[in-house]
Amino acid sequence: MSGARVLVVEDDPDIVDYLSFFLEDEGFEVATAGRCSVAQEMMDEYQPQVVLIDALLPGKSGLELLVWLRRDPRWCDLPLVVVTGNDQLLEDDCQSYLGAHEGVRGPDGVLGKPVDRATLLAVLEKLLDQTPVT
Amino acid sequence: MEKVQISVPKPKAELESQYHEYWEEMPCYLSVHDRDFRIVDGNRRFREDFGERLGQYCYKVYKGRDDVCPNCPVEATFADGKNHPSEQLLTTMDGRDVPVMVHTTPITDDSGDVVAVMEMHTDIGEVKRLQTLLQRSQERLAQLFEEVPCFITVQGPDRVIQHANRKFRETFGDPIGQNCFKMYKHREEQCLVCPMQQTFDDGQAREHEEVLFTKDGEKLNALCTTAPLHNADGEVEAVIEMSFDITQIRELQSQLASIGLLVGSISHGIKGLLTGLDGGIYMVNSGFKKDKPERVEKGWEMVQRNVERIRSMVLDILYYAKDRELLVEEVDLAALVADFQEGIEKKASDADTEFEIQIADDTGLFPGDPQAIRAMLLNLLENSLDACRMDKDKNAHTIRLGIQRDPQWVVIEVEDNGYGMDQETREKIFSLFFSSKGIKGTGLGLFISNKIVDKHGGTIVVDSELGRGTRFEVRLPLVASPSIKSEEIVQ
Repeated sequence: MSGARVLVVEDDPDIVDYLSFFLEDEGFEVATAGRCSVAQEMMDEYQPQVVLIDALLPGKSGLELLVWLRRDPRWCDLPLVVVTGNDQLLEDDCQSYLGAHEGVRGPDGVLGKPVDRATLLAVLEKLLDQTPVT
Repeated sequence: MEKVQISVPKPKAELESQYHEYWEEMPCYLSVHDRDFRIVDGNRRFREDFGERLGQYCYKVYKGRDDVCPNCPVEATFADGKNHPSEQLLTTMDGRDVPVMVHTTPITDDSGDVVAVMEMHTDIGEVKRLQTLLQRSQERLAQLFEEVPCFITVQGPDRVIQHANRKFRETFGDPIGQNCFKMYKHREEQCLVCPMQQTFDDGQAREHEEVLFTKDGEKLNALCTTAPLHNADGEVEAVIEMSFDITQIRELQSQLASIGLLVGSISHGIKGLLTGLDGGIYMVNSGFKKDKPERVEKGWEMVQRNVERIRSMVLDILYYAKDRELLVEEVDLAALVADFQEGIEKKASDADTEFEIQIADDTGLFPGDPQAIRAMLLNLLENSLDACRMDKDKNAHTIRLGIQRDPQWVVIEVEDNGYGMDQETREKIFSLFFSSKGIKGTGLGLFISNKIVDKHGGTIVVDSELGRGTRFEVRLPLVASPSIKSEEIVQ
C-alpha cells in the first residue's frame, strides 16, 4: 500500500515512535496525534485514508473520536481501526457507548495489544483495498 | 363446698337404690373415711383398683404408708369442715401410680358435727401426661430459639424487642425494652427502609442485607429475614427477624474480586509492556538492518524503559500481595533521596525533563520505614515523569521534589508541569486498580503509596489540573503515630 496516509492516534510516545517507524518501513505515510482533539484538528489538512485509534486516550476516549468521525459526513466512510489492550473492556465499552449513539457504525477493525505486525498490515491493506483511493 | 346434710327421714327405698347406683358408677374413686382414717365405704372403681379394703387405714390403702400422710386433706376437713383440694399420687393394688385430684366433703350428723369425710379422687393421669408433654415441647422450642446459630429477635409494632436469643444477646447485648435500630445499628431513630415495618404493613416476609454493629463496635455483614407472627384474629402481632452473619462470605468475595481484578489488571499491564518491548526490539532490529544508529538507540531505550516498568510492576504486585508491616527506624530523608537521585535524574533527562531537588537543611530524622517511603517517593516521581512524557503541549518540563519540616510533620512535595488530571481521575487515583495510564498502569502504585503514608499516620493530598500539572503533598508525622507501636522503632 505504497503511500497510503495513516493517522495514528496514540498517547504513548514509545508506541507512536514504533508504529511510525514500522508503518513507514512498510511504505505508508504516517502522521500522529497524542490526543483526540489534536486528531480532530489534523483531519482536514492531512486527509488520512485510514485512522488507527488507541481505545484508551487521555481526555476523550478513542470511542468518542470514533463517534465524532462517523457523525461527520466527510469522514463517515473512513476506515477506522481501534487498538486496545483489553478486548473485553472494548467490547463492553463499544456496546454501551455505541448503544448510546444510535446509528453509529462500530470500528472496521479491532486489534489487541501487543499489535501483531502481520495482522496490522493485513487489516490495513484489506480496508484500503475496499476504499476508493482519494 | 357446702356441707351435705344427711336428712333424718330416710329416703324411699328406690331413691336410695338409685343414689347408690350413681355412687357406684361415678367415674372416679369415692371413699368415706372416719376420724381414725379408716375407710368405711368405697365405690366400684375404688374396689376395682384398691380391692375390698373396708375398715383399713386410708394411708395404707392409697399409699402403702404406715402412718397418716403429712397435710392429710381428710384430717383438715374433719378440723374445719371445708373442702381441701390437692393433688396426690396413689398406688393401686397392682402397683400402678395414679396421679389424682382430691376433693374432700364433710359428712355431718343432725347436730352439724363432722362424723365422716368423703374423698373423691379424679384420675388426672392424662392431664399430667399432656402437661409434661407441653412443658417438654415448650422447653425444646425455647432451647431451639436460644441455640439457633443466628441472631433472632421478636419485635412488637413499636419496634421494641420483646425476645432475643442467646447469640443475639452475646453479640449485641441485653435488648429487652430496646429498639432494634438501636441494638443493631446504634441508631437513634428508625432506619429509612425498615423491612420490619414493611412486614408489619403487608404481612409479607422480607429478605435483605444489612451492615450491623456489635456492642463492641465491630462491623458485621448480615443477611436478615423478617416474618410476620399473627394473632388469633390473623393480625400481625409481632415480627420475627433472623439475621445470619455473612461477614466471612463477603470478605472472601471481596478478596476473590480483588484477585480477579489484580489478575485482569496485571495481564492488561503486561500486554502494554509487551507492546513496548516488541516495539523496542523492532526498532533495534530494523535500525541495525537499515544502519540507523539513532533508531537503534531509541529502540534500546524503549526496551530499557519497559524492563524497568516490569521491575516496578513486580515490586508493586509483591507489595500488594504481602501487605507487609512497617519496619520502622530513624529515617534520614536527605540520605534516602541521595540514594536514588542519580537514577531519577537519568530518567528525567531521557524524557527531556528537568529534575529539581530542594531539601531544607533541618529535615533531620523521623520514625518511618525507609524502604516503604522510598517506594512511595519513587512511585510519585515516576508518575510525574510519565505525566511529563505524555504532555506534548509544553516545550519544557520540570519535576520538583521538595522536602521541608514544620513543627509536627515532614512535608514532601512532588510537583510537575506535565499532563495533569481531570476531576474524575483526581478523585479516583488512590483507588485500587484505577489507572489513568491506559495500558501502562496496573492501578497499584498510588494505592500502595497511599497505604504506606496511611500506615505512617500521615496524609497525602493531590492538586492537579488537566494541562497544567500535578502536585502531591505528603505529610509524615515527626513523632511516631499511635499506629506505629513504639517497640517497633529500632533504636
